[in-house]
Amino acid sequence: MAHAATVGVHGVTAVAEAPIVAEPRRRRPVSWLTTTDHKKIGIAYCVTAFCFFLIGGTLADLMRAELAEPGRQLLTPQTYNGLFTIHGIVMIFLFVAPFGVGFANYLIPLQIGAPDMAFPRLNALSYWFYLGGGTLVLLAGFAAAGGGAKTGWYIYSPLSNLRYSPGVGPDLLILGLALTALATLLSGLNIVTTVFLLRAPGMTMWRLPIFTWNMVITAVLGLVAFPPALAAFVLLLFDRRLGGFAFDPLGGGDPIIYQHLFWFLGHPEVYILILPFFGVITEIIPVFSRKPLFGYTGFVLATLAIGALSVGVWAHHMFTTGVVDNPFFTAMTLTIAVPTGVKFFNWIGSMWGGRIWLAVPMLFSIGFMLNFLIGGVTGVMLASAPIDFSVSDSYFLVSHFHYTMMGGAVFGIFAGIYFWWPKITGYLLSERLGRVVFVFLFVGFNLTFWPQFVVGLRGMPRRIVDYDTNLGWNTPNLVSTIGAGLLTIGVLTFLVDVWTSHRRRTLAGDDPWGGYSLEWATTSPPPERNFASLPRIRSERPAFDLHHPDLQPVAAAEPKANR
Amino acid sequence: MSRARVAAIALLAATASSCSSSFGMPSGASEQGQDIFNLWQVFFWAAIVVAAVVYGLLGWSLLRYRRRRAEPDALGRQFREHIPLEIVYTAIPVVIVIGLFAASISTGDTVGDVTPNPDVVLHAEAFSWGWRFSFPNEGVIVLSDPSGEGVPGPVVKLPVGETVRVELTSNDVIHAFWVPEFLFKRDAIPGRTNIFDVTPTTPGTYHGVCSEYCGLNHAYMTFTVEVVPAQEFRSWLTQQPSESTA
Repeated sequence: MAHAATVGVHGVTAVAEAPIVAEPRRRRPVSWLTTTDHKKIGIAYCVTAFCFFLIGGTLADLMRAELAEPGRQLLTPQTYNGLFTIHGIVMIFLFVAPFGVGFANYLIPLQIGAPDMAFPRLNALSYWFYLGGGTLVLLAGFAAAGGGAKTGWYIYSPLSNLRYSPGVGPDLLILGLALTALATLLSGLNIVTTVFLLRAPGMTMWRLPIFTWNMVITAVLGLVAFPPALAAFVLLLFDRRLGGFAFDPLGGGDPIIYQHLFWFLGHPEVYILILPFFGVITEIIPVFSRKPLFGYTGFVLATLAIGALSVGVWAHHMFTTGVVDNPFFTAMTLTIAVPTGVKFFNWIGSMWGGRIWLAVPMLFSIGFMLNFLIGGVTGVMLASAPIDFSVSDSYFLVSHFHYTMMGGAVFGIFAGIYFWWPKITGYLLSERLGRVVFVFLFVGFNLTFWPQFVVGLRGMPRRIVDYDTNLGWNTPNLVSTIGAGLLTIGVLTFLVDVWTSHRRRTLAGDDPWGGYSLEWATTSPPPERNFASLPRIRSERPAFDLHHPDLQPVAAAEPKANR
Repeated sequence: MSRARVAAIALLAATASSCSSSFGMPSGASEQGQDIFNLWQVFFWAAIVVAAVVYGLLGWSLLRYRRRRAEPDALGRQFREHIPLEIVYTAIPVVIVIGLFAASISTGDTVGDVTPNPDVVLHAEAFSWGWRFSFPNEGVIVLSDPSGEGVPGPVVKLPVGETVRVELTSNDVIHAFWVPEFLFKRDAIPGRTNIFDVTPTTPGTYHGVCSEYCGLNHAYMTFTVEVVPAQEFRSWLTQQPSESTA
């Protein structure tokens, strides 16, 4: 540890008195298969999730190619319907959410000064469930006897019933999702336990880094939202294979019940997707503004409010069914916009009066804010039931959630990758190539999705392989496809950046950015068990305090201890 | 230099240029659609104002508070909170949201209103894949082939200025009835009948689609609504086959 001497002067909290025992040398592939180390599992999650991103992106490119002009050119309706089904599942359940879990696995023990997660083996089990579930989903899409799953990502009954969706594809899809849900539950338990029980001395809840805070709330949301969905998936399988009629009106079942159960997962799920990356950019923005986070307490309270409200908004996905209490769910959905919206003021307040360094992680964080705001204000529109009557299930909706999920979460993922890459690998990614990646992704993203607002308002429904030529949808669709091409170039450039960084091996040092949280007070990459010694934790910025001993934490900032 | 600022200005400009009055959407060919269109105006302008404020503050911070090359390690001002400011920036969105909620409820009430004495009743049954339209009071149906690639969907005529009650159901999976020019859609659910009123105000030919994904030929499950004068509508009705013979 480079700072060991400095640390000694200011007082050291020893965590691991016992000498660190090196694991017996094993061949590397075997060590990855058997590891219970949170850092390795975190990396495995991120790499696997990124592979799913490449798969899901390829499916999206195929769809955009088909939609570039009216008429049907490349794909049959069967193929197209399979593409958007698997694209949705892959991006939501196998890419964005697991990427958040990957960051959490890697970072939470480091950020709270712990040697590992609370349940290392359970952690490994979660990963293997996730990989198994993901493999089943891909089999469901492309290798199932009798054709792949073409049910749409929400697998509505009765469409998903055996009568309308024959073959084993949908069964594999449901099983794959169930397995992934189980993985999410297990890692949720692990994260909550780790943060509640394994914090280092001095790391009170009100000193937790925001990323860790957000992951705790995300994990709790997962624990609340996934069990009903698991039940719904089991009932779907009963209906399909065991002669059940839970959701089938022919036997007295009710397809609306399935929608309730599914969206009770589905809407907290979007917060499960975005909260980790709110956390990521909330780590990044203050560091690159050379300031503390503005309104830490308010930020955490707002995130808790989002978590609480997010389990009461699900039926806004069902406004057009005509059977839910639209005013109630309109009110709840509009309300959740408040704690989400005020985060912008935390971020801007953190930049105000700062010394903003526009390094690549900061660029992606700014891109996140620019995109997510559009996703947010269009979300407020869709919260209103009468407005939803006019654009639900249209491309306006498709564009809205891509502005939050891709413009938000995926930009957060890239911000996080560029921010923590030096910590994880010990080497720097290229600033220059990183800027190129950012420009391609930012321009490509907006070129892809802004025109989708336009066609949505002009009446283009989602999930159609083909459209007529006289509806005013042609030009926006062509522009959108060109945008998807730019996005693809951006992602490929990122892969080039990774490859050249791997070849070049420019050492990053322990703390290339001047980071705040504890992971920047250990080596890059951190040793097994993470810390030889810990700095004293007196604020939410222990690494900053360590490097600026002259700046006593401001009196107002000394949080009230909560334990 | 600030890329973010350029992007913000470009986005605002794109928004402003598309917002002469209708924001690129149909302005509603029915009374209910016009109510929803008016609600859109409220939401669009609220969104534009909010986006302008946030992008403005963001752009200003990026311009004003950039790191200086001469002192790369300089810190910003180390303030952490400002309680009155935080209360204000929480309260303002609350007020906005209350206003938007009130507007939504009032529009929702008028749009969802169903008269007990409609002038015309249209029964719409969705199936995989196509639409079976009938007028039960007159006992006539609208004939069409099942939908598929290259097969145009059924054409149904509606009288201008009269209130049409639509009774919507499905006989297999969930579909949805959407006429973008009416700014309205509703799900067609097996085992249930959804009822809503449409009062067409503008004669014309309008594209209709199934908006709930329903399997193989979902993309081709289209139909056409022609809003015509009442007289023309009545004479068209008499030319349709009766339900009992078809």
